[in-house]
Amino acid sequence: MGRWKSALALTAVVLGYAGVVAADDASMSKDLGATIALQGMPCDKVVAAQRNGDSDYNATCKDGNRYHVFVDGTGRVVVKKL
Amino acid sequence: MPPTRRNSGNAPTGAAGAAAPGAKGATQPPTNNTPPVAQQPGAPPAPTLDLNSLKERLKDTRAIGVFTKLSLKNQVDDLLSQLRAFHAKKTTTSLPELRQRYDLLLLKVLSLLQDGDPPLATAISQSRDSIWGILSDPQQFAKL
Repeated sequence: MGRWKSALALTAVVLGYAGVVAADDASMSKDLGATIALQGMPCDKVVAAQRNGDSDYNATCKDGNRYHVFVDGTGRVVVKKL
Repeated sequence: MPPTRRNSGNAPTGAAGAAAPGAKGATQPPTNNTPPVAQQPGAPPAPTLDLNSLKERLKDTRAIGVFTKLSLKNQVDDLLSQLRAFHAKKTTTSLPELRQRYDLLLLKVLSLLQDGDPPLATAISQSRDSIWGILSDPQQFAKL
């Protein structure tokens, strides 16, 4: 019974963590989508984002467009179509 | 944990967040022969602009992500550079063209804020003309 309870607790923790990560992913995708739109490039919705480094992402849009979004040395946000 | 939007820190602060009765109504046709509120002699004045407060609230709002904020800042800085060149008479860009760019930028800001931080969107919308008044006036612009 003790083991069962531990497994249940562990599952809850893992699921809770996954929820936090999913929420972060969702807000990051929304942020990237708004950034791409602000640069006047087409992207209906960001469905995947891969982090390359600090302030450096590859975003994939639902319509198939892919973009490299990053902050350059002068502090400007750059969006490049991949 | 589901994504949450906390706007408690985005409550209107200072005069910039004050409501301007009739601000929207002034653009709508009058009904029941009532003149627009803005034309009434006893109407309250337009909200006093507090640029610093608006700037802080834009920085603090959780309705816009970091990348988006930085993108907007880049575009605001670009517009300020164009206005600086205009006031220094170092550009062929006309004031109406700059106003158009300003309106477009404000539209972008408002569309980003209207769902996540409606009070801030309202404050900015109500300050639109006041901000332009500062930007288009060489003396006031120089003090920014």
